[in-house]
Amino acid sequence: MGKSVPETTATKRAALAVIPARNEAATVADIVQRTLATGQCDVLVVDDASNDETAVLARTAGATVITVPFNLGAWGATQTGMRFAQRNRYHTVLTLDADGQHHPEELPLMLASLRRSGANVIIGTYSRRMSPARRLAGRYFRLLTRLNVQDFTSGLRAYDRRAVRALASREASLLDYQDMGVLMLLSKKGLILREVPTIMSPRRAGASRVFASWLLVARYMLHTTVLCFSQLGVRARIAVRAQPAAGSPA
Amino acid sequence: MTSQLTSAAIGILLAGAILYLVRRDHMHGSYALWWLAIAAAILILGVFPPVIDWLGQVSGISYPPILPIIVGIGMILIRMLRTDIDRSRQERQLRRLAQKLAILEQELGAARREASNVAAGNPSRNRSAQVIPLPKSGDA
Repeated sequence: MGKSVPETTATKRAALAVIPARNEAATVADIVQRTLATGQCDVLVVDDASNDETAVLARTAGATVITVPFNLGAWGATQTGMRFAQRNRYHTVLTLDADGQHHPEELPLMLASLRRSGANVIIGTYSRRMSPARRLAGRYFRLLTRLNVQDFTSGLRAYDRRAVRALASREASLLDYQDMGVLMLLSKKGLILREVPTIMSPRRAGASRVFASWLLVARYMLHTTVLCFSQLGVRARIAVRAQPAAGSPA
Repeated sequence: MTSQLTSAAIGILLAGAILYLVRRDHMHGSYALWWLAIAAAILILGVFPPVIDWLGQVSGISYPPILPIIVGIGMILIRMLRTDIDRSRQERQLRRLAQKLAILEQELGAARREASNVAAGNPSRNRSAQVIPLPKSGDA
């Protein structure tokens, strides 16, 4: 076995790459090996109740594997990884998809820019893959949330300790995707987001879970709009509540 | 007079059914209280329908029979809203519980593997791995 997580010692560890995977047997082993080959992080695969050999293949490839008891969705699986990282005191969490569209070779770049830029979150973006519809959606959500992020669905990200703490919290447990909801939560907590251009491949098997069909897109847009509105309300309330507290000597 | 009998029968039947179900202890705490209150209201309105006319007069509604219907629908809506809020809370708890279960399962598996390695006289290269550190857990 390679660098499986429980065998490392330091109380405060370096980085953990969290790879949520659901039925990704075709690609997961390759991704795990390439991630380990960067030599900069431990690898955790969160098997989202797959029906295939994903867990076994990932473990054989050298990853620590957590299998959740029932389907928690992409974000639920990723959050499991966040909580694992918090419990084991990792100070950085990297996330990438198991389907091969994110290149593990980009992770050192993400880590470096997290360290250098002083941001709490680095989002790996690939602007060329964005279709006009996606750009339009992006513009719409930027207008709605005033978050300055181009590619809000990218699953290639690096989070520092503060961001991991925010995302492991109960508050983040009812989110469904690692996208707007997560970004809004982070910016609500005053964390700094930054984007870094990266190289990505088109998905090999299947299309994006989010942008699969127009019906799904419509549902997703509606869902996220509602999320934006509820989050905006919360933000206003918190601002009102925080004002008197900020003035008090305590 | 027959109309009053019908209404009384419906009221008693409904209240009796609710009372029976609450008594069988299928509901906990505040739910039982809520349903007992509903049963009492149905019983009173069913047995004494003039109460509705009186309430209509007091509140200035020209067609009193609509009053219990509107109040009833309002209560159903509130009840449904509370149910959805409760379900969301439970969904959150369920997800977090599943996550914690999965993490603990992984730790248990790692500890077991380590223990069997030690028992087989084949400790891992890493000395400190014999004691699996269990750091303070975050919130459950």
